[in-house]
Amino acid sequence: MLEIKDLHVEVEGSGEKILNGVNLTINEGEIHAIMGPNGSGKSTLSKVVAGHPEYEVIQGDILYNGESILELDPDERAHKGIFLAFQYPVEVPGVTNSTLLRESYNTIAASRGREELDPLQFEDYIEDKLELVQMAPEFLNRSVNAGFSGGEKKRNEIFQMAVLQPKLSFLDETDSGLDIDALQVVANGIKQLHGDDNSVVLVTHYQRLLNYIEPDFVHVMIGGRIAKSGDKELAIKLEEKGYEWLNAYGTVNGEGK
Amino acid sequence: MGHPTKIEPSFLHDLAKNAPDSESAFVKKIRESSLAELNSAPFPTRKMEDWRFTDIKPMTRTDFVPFEEAGLLPATDVEEYYIPESDRSRLVFINGEYQEKYSSIGGLGNGVTVGNLSDHLDDKNVEEYLNNLVNYENDPFVHYNGLMFEDGVFIHLEKEAKAEAPIHVLNLYTDSKKPYVATPRMLVVAEEESDVTIIEDHIGLAENAYMTVPVCEIKVKEGAHIHHARIQRDSLSAVHVSRPIAYVEKNSEYHSYTITLGGKLTRNEPRVIQEDEEVDFTLDGLVLIDGEQIADTHSVMDHRFSHAESHQLHKVVVNGDAHSIFNGKIFVRRDAQKIDSFQENRNLLLSRDGLVNTKPQLEIFADDVLCSHGATIGQLDPEEVFYLQSRGMTEEKAKEVLTYAFALETIENIKVESVHKLLIDEVYRYTKANNVSKVTA
Repeated sequence: MLEIKDLHVEVEGSGEKILNGVNLTINEGEIHAIMGPNGSGKSTLSKVVAGHPEYEVIQGDILYNGESILELDPDERAHKGIFLAFQYPVEVPGVTNSTLLRESYNTIAASRGREELDPLQFEDYIEDKLELVQMAPEFLNRSVNAGFSGGEKKRNEIFQMAVLQPKLSFLDETDSGLDIDALQVVANGIKQLHGDDNSVVLVTHYQRLLNYIEPDFVHVMIGGRIAKSGDKELAIKLEEKGYEWLNAYGTVNGEGK
Repeated sequence: MGHPTKIEPSFLHDLAKNAPDSESAFVKKIRESSLAELNSAPFPTRKMEDWRFTDIKPMTRTDFVPFEEAGLLPATDVEEYYIPESDRSRLVFINGEYQEKYSSIGGLGNGVTVGNLSDHLDDKNVEEYLNNLVNYENDPFVHYNGLMFEDGVFIHLEKEAKAEAPIHVLNLYTDSKKPYVATPRMLVVAEEESDVTIIEDHIGLAENAYMTVPVCEIKVKEGAHIHHARIQRDSLSAVHVSRPIAYVEKNSEYHSYTITLGGKLTRNEPRVIQEDEEVDFTLDGLVLIDGEQIADTHSVMDHRFSHAESHQLHKVVVNGDAHSIFNGKIFVRRDAQKIDSFQENRNLLLSRDGLVNTKPQLEIFADDVLCSHGATIGQLDPEEVFYLQSRGMTEEKAKEVLTYAFALETIENIKVESVHKLLIDEVYRYTKANNVSKVTA
């Protein structure tokens, strides 16, 4: 589904290099966790896959279903089924959740040959998605993320994921800033949304989310590349020993199956 | 009327030679004093502090002629601009002249007098307040209006009277062969505990050059409430110079929302003057300009007594080569304590060649006051654009949505449903048009 090949990335125009040759393959239906210390490039990797204009790919490629997506705009990537849950979801005062979601749903539906929904159909469609993240219907009439608590913003990201039904989701530190109840809601939502035909990448600092969602693969990023890959045992080991011991490892390319 | 001119005469002096006569001794007196003032008020130049950013060429390089020589064309589709809520509370003026056949003033309930000013010249409120509330130093425009106005709006609410419908003041400006100058006039007197909503519309029916100089005097007496929406949709070749001034008495509220969409050059000088304690007033603005438009707001909020709450949110979107100027003066006099005043000017710059000048100006002489003010000039936040794009919107659509959201806040407070909707459509049209121009550029 996704193949990241020797990806080198710098901040557009600054020459500051952030990714130094990332290799990663994600197949349909898999759950991957990407861990690593602050500044290791985890968030950047997610943003680059989603097409953030701040970053420039200077070497390597990202293939999605066999085709390079480097030249695609963020919206075109979304149309193909790529989704990014933001670490810091953006507040958009004046635009309601329902407006944003219907607009997004229908744009993506149109580009993927699905039926577009009118406001009433959309209301029906959206109702059980709300339950998934335990949001009250009033929430739909509020401006996107404006005045939301940290936990509400994160739940809103998962809610958007539920509505848009992406094929490949990068969840950038969706677990950070959540109390234990909210973490359970979010984790349950993700688990229910995950299936055989879609893949999830959990970008996280902590192992605790992985208590709820069992990843097929765990990767550790250090210094802009994947330093080590393994299964969930790796995450447990990281929790116990920290990241220090990995500095001794050379480059190990993370490849699923 | 021979008053010596102490200043360099302007085109206003030429036009003033055609000042209409009046049979009313009261109006004659206004004309007399207005002429004297006009003859001592210098015409603005870029050398004056209050005009240094404003390009007044659209005014000075246009050959304005008296109405008789303008070759005025008739107004068409007047009904198109009606608002349903004011079906029986509407005053229509064409180029400043009252139109009885389009007006309808039967639906306001007891204690509300509404009509053409020139039919109410013997009303004691007119005699007491007309031209006595204008307070603009060295301002030729306000006195030009005093010299030239004939018809106008008169609104009076008796004690505890509540207007049953919003009053729609519809000012239409017609096409003409030559540019003319209109002088709409308005006087509103709201007695104790009364309540009224006023929608003041200015609409150019064609794309011709003309100038309008509306002067509006408002007296909000003890405990009275006035909600005043001013919507400016003049022709893109027009000059709009407006002078709305409100006096707020004890426990009263005056909330004004000015939406500026049209005009080649707009100079708006709203003023609110506090006359007693415990008042609450708003002076919000929304400016959406493009092309060669210039929109200038110079406002004054004058706190003269203790315990006032005042609020000014002035939002501006600039595209093309347009130019916005904002100067917001807040005065807090020496003994005016416990003032809670908020002022914010937010500017969204969509184009490289757009220009914004902003100057909040606080003059505070009391010590126990809370005055917050801020001015920002920015482009659309790339993070916000990316967020919406990652949800499937094209870059154009994302920018359109964000511009729309930025502009919408001011409109939210306008409480007449159809006007609210109309403005949402106007904002939508503006954001849409901008994207089209950007895509084709």
